[in-house]
Amino acid sequence: MIKTIGIIGAGTMGSGIAQLAALARFDVILHDISADVLKGAIVRIKDDLRHSVGKGHITSTEATEALSRIGASKTFGELGSSDVVIEAAVEDLAVKKEIFKKLDAIVPPHAILATNTSSLSVTAIASFTKTPESVIGMHFFNPPTIMRLVEIVRGKQTSDKTVMITSELARKMKKTPVVCKDTPGFIVNRVARPFYGEALRLLGEGIASVETIDKIVKLEGGFKMGPFELMDLIGIDVNYAVTKSIYEQFFHEPRFRPHPIQRQMVEGGTLGRKTKKGFYTYR
Amino acid sequence: MAARQKKVSTPTGKSVFSTKGKVVCIFGESPLVEEYAARCLSKGFQVHVRLNGSSQRRKRSRGNTTHLPTGAKLVTKASAETYCALELTNTSVEAKKKNLLDFEKTLRPSTIIITSSTTITVTEQCTWVSAPGRLIGLGALPSLLQGSLLEFAPSPMSDESTITAAKEFAGALDKEPAIVQDSVGLVLPRIICMLANEACFAMMEGVAQGTDIDTAMKLGTNYPYGPLEWAERIGLRQVHAVITSLHRSYGEERYRVAPLLARAALSTHSQVDSVLR
Repeated sequence: MIKTIGIIGAGTMGSGIAQLAALARFDVILHDISADVLKGAIVRIKDDLRHSVGKGHITSTEATEALSRIGASKTFGELGSSDVVIEAAVEDLAVKKEIFKKLDAIVPPHAILATNTSSLSVTAIASFTKTPESVIGMHFFNPPTIMRLVEIVRGKQTSDKTVMITSELARKMKKTPVVCKDTPGFIVNRVARPFYGEALRLLGEGIASVETIDKIVKLEGGFKMGPFELMDLIGIDVNYAVTKSIYEQFFHEPRFRPHPIQRQMVEGGTLGRKTKKGFYTYR
Repeated sequence: MAARQKKVSTPTGKSVFSTKGKVVCIFGESPLVEEYAARCLSKGFQVHVRLNGSSQRRKRSRGNTTHLPTGAKLVTKASAETYCALELTNTSVEAKKKNLLDFEKTLRPSTIIITSSTTITVTEQCTWVSAPGRLIGLGALPSLLQGSLLEFAPSPMSDESTITAAKEFAGALDKEPAIVQDSVGLVLPRIICMLANEACFAMMEGVAQGTDIDTAMKLGTNYPYGPLEWAERIGLRQVHAVITSLHRSYGEERYRVAPLLARAALSTHSQVDSVLR
């Protein structure tokens, strides 16, 4: 039975997942190497819980109880009492290798080790432990408190039991789990590629303008955002990096080939909303 | 926004457009013909239709387009009184060519022909007819009429008056017109069909079950429909036709059809659901 969930990394994803776990009545150990990041995470969680109370989604008692279940810690060893650990550190295989090796040495034998990676191989991460059958991908979407989907990524050696327990955990966190195989981009980041890739091709070929393509996709297709608005929101650099990663991992499959427009915009520092200039200009 | 207007001003802005008594003649395949016929009828046009032979023999039940809407008149040739002609075939070059040549035989020279250019560029279609100036391409694909916009692609030979008349027709259907360059798949059909094709590749490779791919895309990206669900709404043969046309047009591996989609499109209709789900 799962009682305690350890979370590694207290950025947007880690703190959001900690909040979800605490609201689902699990004890949470939120770990980060930076005291400032941990402090910021607790402030963010408090604010978000207060907001949820204000909106009537939860009671103030539930919010107080949830907050009391979260322990923030800079000490890695405290994760040793976790039944499940969800790693949400930086997307760097060397960093994850270090983390999973250390985890392997301190968690109890029944513990499940999950990674929130969106672009690395779960199978590769599992190889850093002695129990690859207990390692799984648990890919939350940003912001995790709002987005309902969790991709449950089955590595090459992940056991059925691990898949079952993790899916159930996602449901307890009020998420919809979808099981998928450990392949580049999993489901969403892969299947969504043509939404951006074809829009960029259409633009590059002069078939229609940024504004016209976005308008068509929204008014004719019923999408909430056009591909260029969405790339500006995600960050053109982030979207380009995801595309490049999937393209590389599929050994240069032409369906995933990035577009020169993306590279030029990244090189030019026009990255979308965060730089106030991307496919559109923002004030 | 122009899309919501009930009445459309003429280019001079002096008179107001009325659909009353105007005949729209629609030739093509099911269910596009039925969808456009229903829309035109609901806006007050008189509607004449002719379904391609194969479509007439095999009427299929698909959503609300099982049969011709009440009020549509089945014809064998286009009336000379036609205000606007529509050719809506995406899956057969022969049928499309025949329809356009038949239009030329009986339509007045001033009548515009809006022809689906989703799988064959309107520029290529212009080489089949004697008066290409009156042709304009349309991004027609089943179920997309639900939106509030129509994509038009003029050819380099399209007369200005043809483009103006096409925009006027869109306004009469309560749709905002968008003009794009003539290219297979135009904008939305190309994007949606490529999403569906990628979902078929993923499903074929065992990444996840079809229903899970749809769920993931709806919840993870807020798409209005899952890509496989959308492919079924559009019709797998139609999606297949768009992808094969892109492949032919660009000659790039990028646009090769997912074998699963090809198999599903070739299956009889009753088998299709079980292939993708």
